[in-house]
Amino acid sequence: MSNTLPNQFSSLEPFSAKWALSTEGKRQQERIHSTPDELKAFYDAIMPQMEEILSTLDQHPYGQLPEELHPLYWMSLSLAEIAPHVELYKGSNHVPFSFEEARFEAEHGNQINI
Amino acid sequence: MNRKLTLRWDEKFPELGGSPIPIDPCISPEIYDQEVEKVFKKTWLKVGRVEEIPKKGDYKVKKLSFANTSVILIRGKDDQIRGFHNTCSHRGNKVVVETGGEETFGSSRAAVVTCRFHGWVYDAKGDLVNVPEENKFHPCFAREENGLAKIRTEVWEGFIFVNLDDTATESLEQYLGDMGNHLKGYPYEQMADVFSYNTVLECNWKVAHDAFAEAYHVETIHAGSFPNVFGSGLQDVELFGDHRTAAVCLTNNASPKPAAALSNSITGASLVNFKARTMLPENVNPSNRDDFAFELSVLFPNLLIHISEGVWFTHQFWPMGPNKTRWEGKYYLPKVNSYAERWAQQFAVTLQRNAWLEDTATMEDTQAALLSGSKKVMHLQDEEILLRHGYHVLEKYLNKEA
Repeated sequence: MSNTLPNQFSSLEPFSAKWALSTEGKRQQERIHSTPDELKAFYDAIMPQMEEILSTLDQHPYGQLPEELHPLYWMSLSLAEIAPHVELYKGSNHVPFSFEEARFEAEHGNQINI
Repeated sequence: MNRKLTLRWDEKFPELGGSPIPIDPCISPEIYDQEVEKVFKKTWLKVGRVEEIPKKGDYKVKKLSFANTSVILIRGKDDQIRGFHNTCSHRGNKVVVETGGEETFGSSRAAVVTCRFHGWVYDAKGDLVNVPEENKFHPCFAREENGLAKIRTEVWEGFIFVNLDDTATESLEQYLGDMGNHLKGYPYEQMADVFSYNTVLECNWKVAHDAFAEAYHVETIHAGSFPNVFGSGLQDVELFGDHRTAAVCLTNNASPKPAAALSNSITGASLVNFKARTMLPENVNPSNRDDFAFELSVLFPNLLIHISEGVWFTHQFWPMGPNKTRWEGKYYLPKVNSYAERWAQQFAVTLQRNAWLEDTATMEDTQAALLSGSKKVMHLQDEEILLRHGYHVLEKYLNKEA
């Protein structure tokens, strides 16, 4: 497996294929199609490293992130997508007692975050 | 029980009374038709923001399906934004093809729109400026008399409104009255990162509207996304003619979990955390309450504007039929300057999206249950005063002569 993350984040490498997703729409779909165990495993791996990840990204002016750091950035945004499920929704991959997510359109959902 | 002691808003606004509210307006097709004619075709409706069409020649086309039309909003070379029906003067084709569905955006360097059918060209003042083979039309055809049909269009604080009643003379500013004064001066345009969500709900527009116009539901509906957030009740309720406003005050007893704590340490993009006052207009939260979360302002008939420190958001409800409504939720945040801020912003937006998924969850069930006909009225408590006022205003409009 080729490395997609900087060396100091190599422990996150096993999660990159699944969670380095470029848009809110893709991250949301991935969360919906994950098991509670998969959400928890990713959360437990990345949460303790979040401050270090953000300071790594912030060595670059906003909007000028080198391409090799895109996967790391996208994984951090995947944490933003899944964290409420681990922290608030008892691990469920759905928002409890909610409207059908498939019918809820995010107008920015296909924008690539870079 | 001495009710007078406990019902604060009943005491302040006795003219609204305390009777149950009839359910009929939420299910009757006849009343829906009257609402379209007497309310939606007669009042000022928000259809956009000036930042959506920032450059000369930029345009937005928005469907107004309740009126079987679409409005072209175009910024002219004079920077004025004007509105027109999207209907060609030739044989009535849509001038701009609405590829975007409900909303279509485009840009023309020459600040014109051209009908794809036979190439008729209109400028941003609606004038018909070019007709191919014009000399083959009969003498009774005059280009000068065949511009686009105008729709009254005015801008208030960067919000673009239209009014389909071209015989009326009340300006947008007059229509908003003291509601406009109350919300004036907030730096709407400075919150340039916009997160928009929409859906079509199988419910009456008022069922969707009302669910967002009270804070009584917070502890039950949002037990998932905002646990241990308690409503401390509405404050500073004011009725401004057809419009109304209140401060939604919330107490957050939850100690934040790790991701929320990290987000909060970077940005103030969340709604339920205390932020120092820097930008609110002076009449909003006049007593500087610590538990002020956001101002909830209802602009009749279908727009909710909420302003807070460093964040504002809107809900809008477009009638598409007696039991069908397009909901649009928009969350506005300051432009971010770093990846950490962008991450924190995304966390706050995700949580807000989830809260809106919780809000919209009840609406279709409510409509289905109302359609059973098993209940004739709904009961509103004192904290649902904004809904009560809404039904009073609606009744006033429906009682008008057509």
